[in-house]
Amino acid sequence: MTLADTPAVASAPRERTGDPALVSVRAVSMVYADGTVALENATLDVGAGEFVSLIGPSGCGKTTLLRLLADLAEPTSGTIAIAGRSPAEARRARAYGYVFQAPTLMDWRTVRGNVLLPLEVMGFPKAEREERARRMLALVGLERFADHYPWQLSGGMQQRVSIARALAFDPQLLFMDEPFGALDEITRENLNLELLRLWRETGKTVIFVTHSIPEAVFLSTRIVVMTPRPGKIETVIPVDLPQPRSFETRETRRFFELATEVREALRRGHGFEVED
Amino acid sequence: MRHSRLAAWGPLLVVAAVAMAIYLPLVVVANYPLAARTLARGATLPCDSALACTFFLRNPVLPAPNQLLGGILALSWPPGAPYALPLNAWWTAIETVVGLSLAATVGFLFAVLLVLSRAFQLSVLPWIVASQTVPIVALAPMLVVLLGRYGVQGWLPKAIIAAYIAFFPITIGLAKGLQSPDRLALDLMKTWNATTFQVFMRLRIPASLPFLFTALKVSTAAALIGAIVGEMSTISFAGLGKMLSENARASDVVGTWVLMLACALLGILLIAVVDLVERLVTPWRR
Ligand SMILES: Nc1ncnc2c1ncn2[C@@H]1O[C@H](COP(=O)(O)OP(=O)(O)OP(=O)(O)O)[C@@H](O)[C@H]1O
Ligand SMILES: [Mg+2]
Repeated sequence: MTLADTPAVASAPRERTGDPALVSVRAVSMVYADGTVALENATLDVGAGEFVSLIGPSGCGKTTLLRLLADLAEPTSGTIAIAGRSPAEARRARAYGYVFQAPTLMDWRTVRGNVLLPLEVMGFPKAEREERARRMLALVGLERFADHYPWQLSGGMQQRVSIARALAFDPQLLFMDEPFGALDEITRENLNLELLRLWRETGKTVIFVTHSIPEAVFLSTRIVVMTPRPGKIETVIPVDLPQPRSFETRETRRFFELATEVREALRRGHGFEVED
Repeated sequence: MRHSRLAAWGPLLVVAAVAMAIYLPLVVVANYPLAARTLARGATLPCDSALACTFFLRNPVLPAPNQLLGGILALSWPPGAPYALPLNAWWTAIETVVGLSLAATVGFLFAVLLVLSRAFQLSVLPWIVASQTVPIVALAPMLVVLLGRYGVQGWLPKAIIAAYIAFFPITIGLAKGLQSPDRLALDLMKTWNATTFQVFMRLRIPASLPFLFTALKVSTAAALIGAIVGEMSTISFAGLGKMLSENARASDVVGTWVLMLACALLGILLIAVVDLVERLVTPWRR
C-alpha cells in the first residue's frame, strides 16, 4: 500500500510552526479480538499547534484512534509516530494528556485530590501541585467544589474535573474524547471558548472527538470526518475561520457554510453505510 | 443519612420485645415438666406452683430472664476476679484482635501476590483453600503443642489459631478489592506512566478498602470463634472459652447461657469497632 492510494491524506496547514507533523498516522488498521474492524487504513497528519476534531457516527472508531495514539492499544497494522517517537515512548515521556469519554474519577478522592493525582504520580513538588490544582479548578469553574467528592457532582461537573486533571500537568498534546458531551449548551459554549483561548495562548496541539457539528467547526483548524463499519476517514475539511474566534464567529456565513460541508460529508458516510 | 436516636433504637427495641414475647412462653413450656417433677419430689423451691417454679429451677432446661440476670451479676463482680466475665472477655478480645491483625497482614501479602502473579494464584491458592477445610477443633490442640515446643504459650497460640481462620476471608476479599478498579482507571494511570507501586498505592489499595472492611467483619466473627475454640480445646488459664469448658464440665446451665450471651455481646462489640474504623478510614462513602 502506498500513500498515493490511501484516502484523504491531508497535510496539515502549518499556521504557526514549520515543524513536521507532530502526530503521524500511516495506514493504520485496528481489528479487535472479536473480529470487529474498528479502523481501516487510516492516514492522518496533525501538525504541532493544530486543533483537529474527529467527527463521525457512533462506533466509527474515534475512541479507538485516540487509544492507539495514547498507546492504550496497539494497531493491527500501520504505524503511528508522535514527535518522531512511538506511542509507547511518547506515553513514557508523558507527552500527552487524555480526557476519557467517561470522567473516570477516583471515588475516594475529593475534586482537588483527583486533579492532584497525576501531579503526585509525576512527582511535582507539593506547593506547585496545590497551585496548579487551584488554577485548573478555577479554569473549569469548580473552585467552590474543591472539597466535594465525585458522587456529590453532576455528570457535567465530573467531566470538567477530568478536564482539569488532564490539563494539570500541562502536556503539549491533548487527546479529548467528547469532553463536553454531558454538558448543557451554554456551559458547553463557554468551555469551548475557554478551551480555544487556552489552545491559542499555550500553543498546545489538540485532537478532539465530538458529535456536535457546530462544536467541531467552532474549535478546529481541521475536521476529520469518519464513517463506520469499517471505521474509515471519509474526508478532512480545513476550517479557515479567522482566529481569535468568539461567540460572533458562530453567526458568520462562513461558519454555516463549513457546518453544511461537514454535515454533507457525514451524510455521504451514512449513505455509504446503507448501500453496504 | 443521620438517624435520629429513636429511629436508630426503635427497630432494635421492637425486635427485643418480639424476642421476649417468644422467649417467656418458651421458658414456661420447656421447664414445666421438670418443675412439676421437682415440686412433686418435695424439693425446697422459692415458689409454690409448677408454673411459677419454671422461673426458679436450679438446673433449668431453659434459664429464665431473672436467672440469666442473676448469673450475669454473679459473674461480673469483681471484674478482675479470675472467674469474672470482664477479665476473661478481655483476654478473648485481645486474642481476637491480635489474631485479626496477624490475619490482615498475612492476608494483605497473599492478596498482593495473588494480584501480581498468575503463577502464585495457580500454585498457592488451592493450598490456601485447603487450609480452611481442616476442622479447627482438630487443628487447634496440635498447633498449641507445636507452638509450645518453641516456647509460644498463653494467649498467643490462641491468637494464632484465630488468625489461621480469619486470614482466608481477608485474603479473598482484598484480592477482589485490589482487582476492582475498572479498565479505564488503570488506563488512566498508564497514560501518566505510573509505576506498578504507584498503581497499588493510589488506585488499587484505596479501591480495595470497602472490600477489606466487608471481609474484616466476616473475619472478626471467625477470629472470635477461633479464639474461643482455641481456648476450649487446649489448656487455658483465661478466656470465655476456658469458662465455657469449665461450665460444661460442671453442667451449669445458667452459666453456659450467660457465657453464650457474653460471646455474642463481645462479637457485636468487636464488629462495631470495625464498623467505626471503617467510617473513619473511608470518609468518602455516603
Ligand atoms: N475492546 C473492544 N473489543 C471489541 N470491539 C470493540 C472494542 N472497543 C471498541 N470496539 C468496537 O469498535 C468499534 C469502534 O469503537 P469506538 O469506541 O472506537 O467508537 P467511537 O467512534 O468512539 O463511538 P462513540 O461515538 O459511540 O464513542 C465499535 O464497533 C465497537 O463495538
Ligand atoms: Mg467513543
